[in-house]
Order: sequence, then structure tokens, then C-alpha cells
Amino acid sequence: MPKPNDLEQKALQIIMNSGNEGLLQSELWRKLGASSREGSRIALKLEDKGLIRRERELRNGRWTYRLYPKRLPASIDSIVDCPCMMCPDSQRCSPSGAVTPQNCEKLTEWLFHIAETDFKILGDS
Amino acid sequence: MLSTIDDATLMRVAEALGEEEAVKLIEILKNSDEITDDEIANKTGIRLNNVRKILYKLYDHSLVSLRRTRDPKTGWFIFHWKLQPDQLEGFILSQKRRVFEKLNIRLEYEKNHDFYYCYTSGCRRIPFEEAVELVFKCPTCGKPLMHYNNEKIVQILTRKVEQLRKELGE
Repeated sequence: MPKPNDLEQKALQIIMNSGNEGLLQSELWRKLGASSREGSRIALKLEDKGLIRRERELRNGRWTYRLYPKRLPASIDSIVDCPCMMCPDSQRCSPSGAVTPQNCEKLTEWLFHIAETDFKILGDS
Repeated sequence: MLSTIDDATLMRVAEALGEEEAVKLIEILKNSDEITDDEIANKTGIRLNNVRKILYKLYDHSLVSLRRTRDPKTGWFIFHWKLQPDQLEGFILSQKRRVFEKLNIRLEYEKNHDFYYCYTSGCRRIPFEEAVELVFKCPTCGKPLMHYNNEKIVQILTRKVEQLRKELGE
């Protein structure tokens, strides 16, 4: 049987994955495979912890709650291809250091590569 | 503590840290409460020195914690490792902040300089002041230097910096 904290973690992931749209409390407990009572308790707990926001919504003539994440999941997509991420010269890199962001060749190559890819995409369209 | 990071993000971070071997290693750490480097090497087939190298890298970023005990028979230290998924969000944020700073510095530099280039791969672009001193001759290949329009580079950097600024809420 899952520990209560596991269920909370799973619920948080589901709510965060719903993005800015949020999801209805009823959808949450169905996705969790939990009862409606458990589902609403978890939602309340997550709200108390400041992780989600609940908003009342009238659905099929009944009041329910829509759950929104307060923070969207942290992702490294925007930096994962940048050479500065995990750069071994990171400690030595500063505007006036031995390695500088101004003249870093790895950074230049990366920018050239993006410029080339962008150009190809624009050229194809 | 509840983590706002999903498994896919955890694996992408592992990939960025040390490619395939780190992914295997994190997979094992994720499914164990605490585990020794020896056990990880046995389970994954990764060489022990590589296991330790990846673990120390993760430790440097506080992504794993370490407990040390002494083997009563040999007197050697045994290292017990544990994944700290709640540190991942902080790690991602600090990486983003660092990349943001670097790209911002580069953006300002690109905006404030005029570049000259011989258009030979392997040669670097030369800022105007340096190009004048070199009499517009490439110091690497000797070909003449011509004006390089960096508008596209500035556009890409502006886009990246703005995206990171938004993500960091700055």
C-alpha cells in the first residue's frame, strides 16, 4: 500500500503536469486511484503546504474545486544544450578571468550552431 | 519534503552530469534508501573508479549525501550514498542563474562590439579594435578580415536571456 506521502507526491506531479489549465479535484482522485475523500484531503494538504491553489468551480450544477500548481515543474530544457551548463572551466570563467564569457570559443560555436539551425529552418519554410 | 521534480527531469540532469553511466547510477540510487559505491558498481557493471567519480560530482552539487562508516574487519572506510531529490530544484535554479549571467555578459559584449572575420572554419572573430592592430589580416590563417554581421547572434542571445529571465522570475 502506498505511503500517504507517496500519494501526495504523485498528486503534486499530476497537478503540476496539468500546467496553467489546472485540473478538477475529481479528475485528480480518479487519476490517483483514490477515493474522493482521500483526494480532497490530499488537495487540502497540498494547499496548506503552499504547493497548490484551489478555486471553486461550478461543474454540472455542483460545486467542486479546480486545482492549480503554484509552481510549474523545474526543467533544465532551456539550458541543457548550453556549454556553460556543467562547463569544466566554470570556476575560472568571469568577465576578467582566464576564461571569459565574451571570448569563449565553446559559447561561440554553440551560438553559430543555433544560428545555422535557425537559418535552415527559416530557409525550409 | 515533497519534490517538484519528476523522474524525467532527474534523468536529464543525470545525463547532463555524466551521460549514460550517471543515468544508470541515479536509477539505482533512486530505488535504494542508502547504498555503497561497491554495491552500485556490482549492480550497474560500471567500473568502481567511475562510480566514485560520478558520485563525487553529484556530491559537489549536493545531489547525494554521504555517510562514512569503518569496516570492523579491514578498518577501511565504507561510504554510504543517498540521493537527495529535494536538492534538485535548487541545483537547476543555480545552474540557470549561472548560465543567465554568462549569456547576459556575452550579449552585452556582442551588442557593444563590431566584429571582423576571415570566414574560415577554425578561425575566430576579431573585434574591430584588434582587427585595426592586425591590419585586418587574420592572425591564424593570414586571410583578409571582413566585417561580420552579428545581428543573428545578438537575436539568439536576447531570446535565450529573456527566456531565462522569465524562468528565474527576475
